[in-house]
Amino acid sequence: MPNFFSDTFAVLKREIRRIFRQPMYWTLTVFLPLAAFSFFAILLSKGVSRDIPVAVVDQDQTSLSRKVVQMIDATPTARVAFGAQSMEEAERLIREGKVMGIVQIPPFFEKNILSNRQTHIETYLSGTNITVNGLLTKDLQTAVMTFSSGIQLQLLTKQGLTEKQAMAQLMPVRFDKHVLFNPYINYAYYLSPSFMPMMLLIFTIMATIFAIGVELKRGSAKEWLDTANGSIFAAFVGKILPITLVMFLTSELMFLIIFKVVGVPLNGSLTVLTISNLLFILSYQSIGTLIIALLSNLRLALSIGGGYSVLAFSFSGLTFPIMAMSEPMQWFSNIFPFTFYTDIIIDQALRGAPVIYSFHDMGVLCLFIILPLLWLPRLRTVCSEKKYWGRL
Amino acid sequence: MNRCSRQISSYWLQFRTVLRNEYRTIFTDAGVVLVVILAIFIYSTLYSLGYGTEVLRNVPIGVIDQSKTPASRQLIETFSAGPNTVVAYEPSSMEEAKRLFFDREIYGIVYIPSDYEQKLLGGQMATVSLYMDASYFLMYRQVFQEVVTGINATGAMVEFQRLIAKGANIPQAMATTQPIIYQGHNLFNPYLGYGTFVMPAIIIVIIQQTLLIGLGMIGGTWREFNLYGKLIPPGRKCMSTLPVMAGKTFAYISVYAVTLTYIFGLHYKLFHLPANGDTGTIIALLIPYLLACINLGIAISTVCRYREQSIMLLLWTSIPILMLSGASLPREAIPDWLYAFGQIFPSSHGVQGFIRVQSMGANLEEVMPEVRNLWILTLIYGGMAAIGIRYRLRKAGAKM
Repeated sequence: MPNFFSDTFAVLKREIRRIFRQPMYWTLTVFLPLAAFSFFAILLSKGVSRDIPVAVVDQDQTSLSRKVVQMIDATPTARVAFGAQSMEEAERLIREGKVMGIVQIPPFFEKNILSNRQTHIETYLSGTNITVNGLLTKDLQTAVMTFSSGIQLQLLTKQGLTEKQAMAQLMPVRFDKHVLFNPYINYAYYLSPSFMPMMLLIFTIMATIFAIGVELKRGSAKEWLDTANGSIFAAFVGKILPITLVMFLTSELMFLIIFKVVGVPLNGSLTVLTISNLLFILSYQSIGTLIIALLSNLRLALSIGGGYSVLAFSFSGLTFPIMAMSEPMQWFSNIFPFTFYTDIIIDQALRGAPVIYSFHDMGVLCLFIILPLLWLPRLRTVCSEKKYWGRL
Repeated sequence: MNRCSRQISSYWLQFRTVLRNEYRTIFTDAGVVLVVILAIFIYSTLYSLGYGTEVLRNVPIGVIDQSKTPASRQLIETFSAGPNTVVAYEPSSMEEAKRLFFDREIYGIVYIPSDYEQKLLGGQMATVSLYMDASYFLMYRQVFQEVVTGINATGAMVEFQRLIAKGANIPQAMATTQPIIYQGHNLFNPYLGYGTFVMPAIIIVIIQQTLLIGLGMIGGTWREFNLYGKLIPPGRKCMSTLPVMAGKTFAYISVYAVTLTYIFGLHYKLFHLPANGDTGTIIALLIPYLLACINLGIAISTVCRYREQSIMLLLWTSIPILMLSGASLPREAIPDWLYAFGQIFPSSHGVQGFIRVQSMGANLEEVMPEVRNLWILTLIYGGMAAIGIRYRLRKAGAKM
């Protein structure tokens, strides 16, 4: 055991010298992550979509129809950017990317309302961006419903009801909505704690593969192993520890940006989050080590590791829930530590779930750290045999 | 005349040398093959499989029914009637509901108070409380939409019955209950499928990113092996910029012509992605897009010293660049100056153009601004690439 510590320490010393000579380490562990975090902080600084352009085809041209148009324009999400003469013209505006939707008010709109006959309003919203579609649907529906209730109210008060009676009449069941955990339905709150860790994992895996792979590429692997007195575990620990440490500090900076700059609520345990960060970094370091040990080719390992790391986002269930995926894909989503890490983030940052709910996910992260290490003997082989060095 | 034809034959020779060399470097390097050729197949297939189900259905929710009356039962039934949600649990208390919620068994809670039926029958307003979780956007939307639809439909029904009871006739009662019907239609993606929404943008971004990273890798190889010097034809001091760029461009255009034929021809059909554009328009957009990406790639590749640099430095940009295209995050949510900055990437114009052509069926005239911008980028990046390549060639020539 004392040997292990002195061996590790020797590798650590060698590693620190290397790190100061090779700017790529700093680029990958500090500069680019910070650039990426800042990018997302700025990207999400608005947080909500306002004034999405829509076209209106007003075939009625009366004071009531203009009132509806005005109400649509007044909604937070929609902005009436064009008044089109015909549906053809409006459709063209959509295809030219100038508007995201069309509101059509039919002829006789006002006449029907005044003579107490049912009428309608048609909306045609582009489905090419379902986020925009959802926002517009909600606001347009609300605007039309508010307008509609106004008319109902007038009708009922004309029949002699008091306003309160009329309200109860036209809305027998009302709901009050409580949005838990992300009450402002802000993109930033749910995207920044997922995008930024995504960047963290990409850089962790790249830096780890690079640190080990460059020894193979340059043929210095034997020297590395010798520094550790032939102990692959000591060589491994001494190698990845500086990256772990710097990445961990970077990840704390990431939290600072997420919780203090972006202002994401922190409803749960910061301790659990911090420990999870460490486990998260270690798990990707472990996986990175496995990839380079198996391939012994720096560039191929970077390509595979890179591909693997970028995939994690789509299969984390944050944007498209895992629940909705087909069964094989649900299973597939489990091969990414990120999937479990995001559960912890959601539970501990947004939901404020009791700590116990995150233990399971943290346990899985530990598995991702331990299992790849079973291939450490392979790393020893790769490091000691010349035929694995200097590959493309 | 003689000099001119000598120049042409020298250019032709260099072009062929570069082309042959480029093919060899691409196909003999597993790392490059993976990025330039396989990545687009692997990613588009995996993402398409992941998003293949397209829509989120049957999100489990919990209902706390304190009323336990026929009226409340009727309301609860409406929540399970639609496709989006299903009442999976009926917890007896808020505490129990919370537990289910943290266990990820339910994604929304509806609370029906004990006086629900009483108020309805008494002609008063009954209040139902909704507790929604917006930590997953899509879940939030599905739950909210379905529950509110259920509540509104129930409300309208009650109102209608009350009016009829008061002696109104059916059309009158209908007009009073709902003077204006809101009729929503979704264009180009009728079921609001997730894959149909993101896949077209992702594919376009993958094309750009694989080209930039792949060209960067090969650029690093050129530097590491000093190919800028080694490929100089006998009897010349250094290679010429034009044939080097033309050779590289032709190599990638030909590789991507094959892979993209698969993507737009077969992959789109296989995964039912919207393919409403006509082939001519797609090609008219694709050519400047590829050229702009390749020129940017060549420009970047001249600064790459090692082969592995480009992937380490560029991989992370994929998600930011996808976001800047405005296809996934709404462009109205992005600060204006940042969105404007994003226009320097070919992908921003490519994504907008392709979505409009392929998903909306826009014709060439309708995407002319995008096509024009892509040609402008091609020229700008082409100029930068030429300067970079010329610099490298001169330097290599001087060393020889």
